[in-house]
Amino acid sequence: MNFTVLTYLGGSMVSVNKLRNISFSRGYARFARKATQLGLDLCGGKNRLLNINSEGKNKAIDWIGKNLSSAENRLILGASALMSQPFIDAANKDVDSETRRISVCRTVAKIIAGTATGYSIRKLCIKTIDAFTKDPAKLKEGAKFNKLRTCLLPALKYTADELSQYKNALGTLLALGVMVFTNFLIDAPLTKFLTNVFAGKGDKNV
Amino acid sequence: MFRPDTVFRNFKNTILTKYGPNPAKMLIYTGVLGWFLSSAAQVVAIAVNDKIPKEQKMFLIPQEISDGAINVLSFFLVTSAIKNFASKLVSTGKLANPKIRKFLNETGLDVKKGLGQTKFNIEKLANYDQIKDDYKSFKNGIDVIGMTLGSILSCNIITPILRNKVAADRQQKTLAELHKIEQAKLKSPRGISMDNYCKSAALKYSSPYSGSLKI
Repeated sequence: MNFTVLTYLGGSMVSVNKLRNISFSRGYARFARKATQLGLDLCGGKNRLLNINSEGKNKAIDWIGKNLSSAENRLILGASALMSQPFIDAANKDVDSETRRISVCRTVAKIIAGTATGYSIRKLCIKTIDAFTKDPAKLKEGAKFNKLRTCLLPALKYTADELSQYKNALGTLLALGVMVFTNFLIDAPLTKFLTNVFAGKGDKNV
Repeated sequence: MFRPDTVFRNFKNTILTKYGPNPAKMLIYTGVLGWFLSSAAQVVAIAVNDKIPKEQKMFLIPQEISDGAINVLSFFLVTSAIKNFASKLVSTGKLANPKIRKFLNETGLDVKKGLGQTKFNIEKLANYDQIKDDYKSFKNGIDVIGMTLGSILSCNIITPILRNKVAADRQQKTLAELHKIEQAKLKSPRGISMDNYCKSAALKYSSPYSGSLKI
């Protein structure tokens, strides 16, 4: 944004401030950089460096980076959601007790249905992509469907880790396409069914 | 000229170059899309569930819409911020594993020479290729951990609290509107004479429990 501040003094136009370029994006970038620096300084103290020396921890970090796909991520989110969201809904005093009770039941139903279908479909789709991204060097020469088994491989050069992440990404995108339909065909009816089951059996004084 | 095979090849290459070296980025983008689709389905599920009373639907539908909108915003703001911070921890050399620390020490870098400062970036070092594989592996792991923690915080703590506030506010406004319409209908009751009204008023307020009557 450019601002030119001009004022009229003694019959002549005087530019009080020269043309000033106040860039919002530049200001935001500066703020973000300062906030990040503050966060870095707060981690372990200013001018101190942090090390992860444990071999087990470093192996775990490597494994997470290489193997944690969107399916496992969905499972972690679902498990942690079950430990927090129902309690947040139950503590919501802005609504009457019956609405609160239904809200808790539906939240639990939604988490169970969403996590079960989300995890299964993502995992299935990543497996499906894996079937079509086989390493040509590992396939038997002249075997049937060899071309089909490699049809989703990228044309560019890649490392084994990059290929693994590529399979996860492609599998997740395929899963999102599949979930457009399963959200309506499985998720929604399952959530409705579980909500009714929980609402029928739940404590009416939640 | 449009050629499907070229488009498909470019698509595969884009996925590889964009997400191959950066799995956390892929998790954020697909997460946003996933929450959006999931919320749309849940709204439909509540709307067609005839066992949920109308008044509760008025709360649950806005709750679900708020949930979806806040989820998407949370992902971009909270999850991205935490993931980017986790990235900075590694790229500035503030957090390292023994291999990366040894490399930095051998290069002669320490706190006084910029380690732990936002302007410093290991990836821009002249001898970066020596540590590239170990660094990428460690950074991807920290990125994914940061992204996962960010999404737990945004989706499972911030979103439910905010969406409940927003949905309860909407429900109260909607109920107030409904009551306003009902009261407008009751302003001039029909089918009752003044005589009958006086009799019923006398009966109602002559009881010993009518202490709240104000004249």
